[in-house]
Amino acid sequence: MTFELQIVTPDGLIFEGEAEKLFCRTIAGDVCILARHCNYMTALGMGEARVTMADGTVRRAACIGGMLAVTGGKARLVATTWEWAEDIDKARAEASRHRAEEILARKGADARELELANARLRRALVRTSVAR
Amino acid sequence: MAGSMKDIKLRIKSVESTMQITKAMELVASSKLRHAKLRVEKSRPYFDVLHATLADIAAHNTDFSSSYTASRPVKRTCYVVIAGDRGLAGGYNANVFKAVAAHAQGKDCCYLPVGKKALEHYLHRGAEVLSREFPEAEDVSVGHCFSMARTLAKGFLAGEFDEIYVGYTNFVSMLTQTPAVLRLLPLNPPKEKAAGPQPLILYEPDSQAVYDAIVPEYLAGLIYGALCESVASEMGARRTAMDAASKNAGEMIDTLSLHYNRARQAAITQEITEIVAGGEA
Repeated sequence: MTFELQIVTPDGLIFEGEAEKLFCRTIAGDVCILARHCNYMTALGMGEARVTMADGTVRRAACIGGMLAVTGGKARLVATTWEWAEDIDKARAEASRHRAEEILARKGADARELELANARLRRALVRTSVAR
Repeated sequence: MAGSMKDIKLRIKSVESTMQITKAMELVASSKLRHAKLRVEKSRPYFDVLHATLADIAAHNTDFSSSYTASRPVKRTCYVVIAGDRGLAGGYNANVFKAVAAHAQGKDCCYLPVGKKALEHYLHRGAEVLSREFPEAEDVSVGHCFSMARTLAKGFLAGEFDEIYVGYTNFVSMLTQTPAVLRLLPLNPPKEKAAGPQPLILYEPDSQAVYDAIVPEYLAGLIYGALCESVASEMGARRTAMDAASKNAGEMIDTLSLHYNRARQAAITQEITEIVAGGEA
């Protein structure tokens, strides 16, 4: 059984169509949406997301921030960033991770810098783990 | 006569070079407009879905009062004003400022200008400016919108301001752009509740946490959408203004050439008359 799924980001409509299964990480932990899910609403965390298409193929993606809503059997995923595993620039994510680690290892960085570096490190880790 | 002929020639030359500039600017604006329009079209689904989803929750929710939704007595208002980076775009910048000024009349306000013209405008007026970080409207990315939204949400929760509006320009078509002022916070749930049973929504972990996580995102989405519209509008306005300028320059050259030819003819006639008169004498 499939349900209607819509994935949008500020960069455009990523996916619209039928899906069998949607797996993603929310602020409260991992969830999996199947067809006939009740009305549901949550905010997304950072992590790997998996969409099982109507034909059974699984696509993986790095999904960071945003929200997930199911209304009337239709799922809408509004993400801040959504990158399919095959589109992730591995070298860039690696480089970003190194930069963030350098800043975190350095002493004397101010709180704002640390916070930014932390966020960058987490994003880079999600990307590299998905791209692997 | 010879002096005036030279003058006219010089005028024609200077108008011609101005026309070259306006033509070039029109071309640049057209190509940028294409990009900006694409960006507007790409960001619209995000904008629509985000808006629809939040409207859904606001309409169905009965059991919580978030500080984002509750309206409180307004002491201070914050305006995010999105204008252009440079002039020569007809009334584009002035129209946004006028719309915001009309809206802000009699209120205690602070401003968050985006774009060089907006920053200059409010600094010049001596208005309170929240941040000078966004002097280039064209270069503002989604990331910037998020940091802007976080600052705004924090300020709103801390009570620094009790209302947030965004002043921007709606891109209606290539030829029409209308300035608008949109309310960002507090969110107002629609007044009329649908009759009959309300569909229930399951919130995880709970509605308050979800709301707190989503509202900054929603703000960023709205600001980003407004920004895309504004940039497209600026390019549209500049294109129209430059098109009109080029046309005017063309007309001016036509009249000037007419004057020039007349002056030339007059000079020749005079010369002939003088020669004939000299021959008779």
